[in-house]
Amino acid sequence: MKNIVAGRVTTIKSKKDYYRIKEETVLVARNTHPDLMIAISKIKAMVVEIDNKLCHAAIIAREFNKPILMGIDEATKKFKTGDRVLIDLNNKTIKKLK
Amino acid sequence: MTELLKYTYLLDVKGIRRSIELLWSRYQRILDNKKSSWKDLNEARAILYFIGYLYPEKIALQSLASRIKHIRPRISLDRFFLSVDRNDKAILGKYEKNNNFNKLKEFYLTVKDIKNRVKNNAYLDEERFNGLYSKLKPKDYF
Repeated sequence: MKNIVAGRVTTIKSKKDYYRIKEETVLVARNTHPDLMIAISKIKAMVVEIDNKLCHAAIIAREFNKPILMGIDEATKKFKTGDRVLIDLNNKTIKKLK
Repeated sequence: MTELLKYTYLLDVKGIRRSIELLWSRYQRILDNKKSSWKDLNEARAILYFIGYLYPEKIALQSLASRIKHIRPRISLDRFFLSVDRNDKAILGKYEKNNNFNKLKEFYLTVKDIKNRVKNNAYLDEERFNGLYSKLKPKDYF
């Protein structure tokens, strides 16, 4: 699994947002929802506010071998759909790219 | 809920599964019953919170974290989760005859089953619950 991931953000505010994912994306959510499965092949990485090894996002990330960054406070406020971001999984950081 | 905790302390996976299913059935009965009251809905809310969050993410996780330390050869919790979630035969094969490891694996799969449960296109039938809850919520509730 890559330790550095770059991509465009899709911020999830409601489960309808999963159905709007048409291209590869970095998913940003408070936590994920089972509807994530309809877009799982398009997810490059997940960034979630919650930090728990047994939360839905953590389980799905392990099952589908997706990079995940957990415990990012207010991620859904800091990152908007369309933002370009760089995720460093080793240092557990995410930053916006200009 | 105390039954579920009791079987978790005992690591009796059949008991854990049965207790979860009893809570789930009670939750479903409350949602199905057109005569369910505000009080009943709050019982359903307690069950939803317990089986959807408190039990898997706090209690079961703690139980797995403390028990995995006793498994030999040693394995970290992260590696344990990965090996089960990805059905990693190389790792699982090493513990094939380890009863304690297999019990933890069954326990984790049981927890994952409730954590991934979907009904009426919603996680733990949450949308139906939310609809009924808002409908019965007293105006002066705070």
